[in-house]
Amino acid sequence: MGKANHRAAIEAVKDTVYRTCLLMDDERWSDWLELCDEGFYYKITAYSPEIRRDMLYLDGDRDQIAQMCELLPKHNTDRSPLKRHAVVYTVDVEDNGKAAQAVTSFVIYQNMLDGVNSHIDAGENHLFAVGRYLDSFEIADDSARFLTREVRLETRRLDKGTHWPL
Amino acid sequence: MARNEKQWNAHPDPSRIEWADSRIYSDEEIFEEELEKIWKKVWIPVCHESELAEPYDFRTMTIAREPIIVCRDTDDKIRAFLNVCPHRANLIERRPSGSFKDGTPSGNPKNMTCMFHAWQFDMKGRCVHISRAEEGYQDRLSPKDVGLRRLRCEVAFGGMVWVTLNDHIEHSVKDWVGSALDCILEPLEMEPLEIFHYHKSIIPSNYKLWHDTNSEFYHDFVHYHNRVTGFNDAYFARKNMTFDNGHVVVGSFEVQYDQYEGFESREALSFPTLPPNNWYMIDIFPGINYNLRGSALRVDLMTPLSANEVMIEFRGLGLKSDSEEDRLTRIRHHNTIWGPMGRNLHEDLLSITGQGVTMRPGTEPRHILHGRHENETIHDEIGMRHYYDTWAEWMGRPLHNPTNRPPVAAAE
Ligand code: FES
Ligand SMILES: [Fe+2]
Repeated sequence: MGKANHRAAIEAVKDTVYRTCLLMDDERWSDWLELCDEGFYYKITAYSPEIRRDMLYLDGDRDQIAQMCELLPKHNTDRSPLKRHAVVYTVDVEDNGKAAQAVTSFVIYQNMLDGVNSHIDAGENHLFAVGRYLDSFEIADDSARFLTREVRLETRRLDKGTHWPL
Repeated sequence: MARNEKQWNAHPDPSRIEWADSRIYSDEEIFEEELEKIWKKVWIPVCHESELAEPYDFRTMTIAREPIIVCRDTDDKIRAFLNVCPHRANLIERRPSGSFKDGTPSGNPKNMTCMFHAWQFDMKGRCVHISRAEEGYQDRLSPKDVGLRRLRCEVAFGGMVWVTLNDHIEHSVKDWVGSALDCILEPLEMEPLEIFHYHKSIIPSNYKLWHDTNSEFYHDFVHYHNRVTGFNDAYFARKNMTFDNGHVVVGSFEVQYDQYEGFESREALSFPTLPPNNWYMIDIFPGINYNLRGSALRVDLMTPLSANEVMIEFRGLGLKSDSEEDRLTRIRHHNTIWGPMGRNLHEDLLSITGQGVTMRPGTEPRHILHGRHENETIHDEIGMRHYYDTWAEWMGRPLHNPTNRPPVAAAE
């Protein structure tokens, strides 16, 4: 793979990661899933030093995540939106230029709306979660599609929690 | 018709509808008294034995503000102590869990060491080392005078480690729980269990409001999942049962998991002897919950932090003998409903958060209705009434006027 192609692959990965943050911030779940391969697999994990075990908090393939997002409007939920702030730290492109892995560090703020007493805290931001996106991509035609995403959380005190993918 | 102030504050006739004064949730003096009269007196399941699987493993926690440590000895016995150094009351161990097998910067392997002045204790709580003892204490203090404060500790009901601050408690854990856990005793005890999930929440609400949510299912209206997988004749026939010491059981029925799009029957991985897709909920006084849904067990422990703040620790457990694949399935079953991103848990926590807003310390007293009677079935509030009868007895405070201050309605 030539240098220019390598650079283009890195840019493609960054573009997909950052675009995804904006789509998720806007709760455009199906638009995000459009950036994912048919065989996409998503999971939220954390290591617990309390029980000294790796844990899985949520997982699903593309259809399962899509189905979950479609059903969530039937559920009661905290309407305070989550806003992601992310930095892509590393992108490793495979030699053939057709696949890549990226590590992105993120913090997610909750922009309070109705989570507690909206009169008092609507408009305030809470730090909701800290972690990393561990992503893998397929690269074709200068664009990167998600094959997998692991949301590796450091935060384990999630208080009210959330219904939505992070 | 909306009510004016006088009408709003008028007490409901308790012979027609049972109620409690909301100050049981919001009064700070009552909260302090609950720690003394209830939380320091009862058995609390502080963790699961698989969290300290090997000799020298330990786990730390808090009951009623008292720091606790439990550790496993070489004879496999789990012992509990105050995590407080007898020298100058430093916290002995600061980590949530770990092993004493290896040494620490101030101490030897196989001992607990208080890092401050390096006093050391063994897994039986004996003091085995005082730094420069003779030079400073001559013959006035010896290690045998400064052992740790041991606490009564029993492993019971599915391998939970139960601890009490009460040396004089009259019950064993078995007697304390009585027959409340009989309905899931075989599933819990046929084979060893193992923890796979832990997370915690701190919610600005009174701890009893969480317990209420777990002991009445009238609130299934908040859960889309429970409405579509339940709300049939078998669901409405579920019985609520009351047991000695304030415990409550919400009886079982067969949940129709496949009625929720994308969810599946849990039959293939039922806990031993549990009929397929059955679901039992057991509420142990004053704030512990066993929740067995077919293939996964959830155990909640509350740690009340103030009148308006509670920490809830959520544990998920499967069978120790699980294959990797079965374990993953159990974890998924657990997560879809009870994980931090699960369908139900978030809804339950939002509900008690809202109650916490209206019943903050200093808010006006309100009437909290516990008055549904429906033949002791699922939407009957008998569970809450039973809990609060026990609470009122332990506290020596009446539910209609729990503080010594005059009831509102009298002030016209
Ligand atoms: S306080 Fe523990 S050794 Fe001094
Ligand atoms: Fe619930």
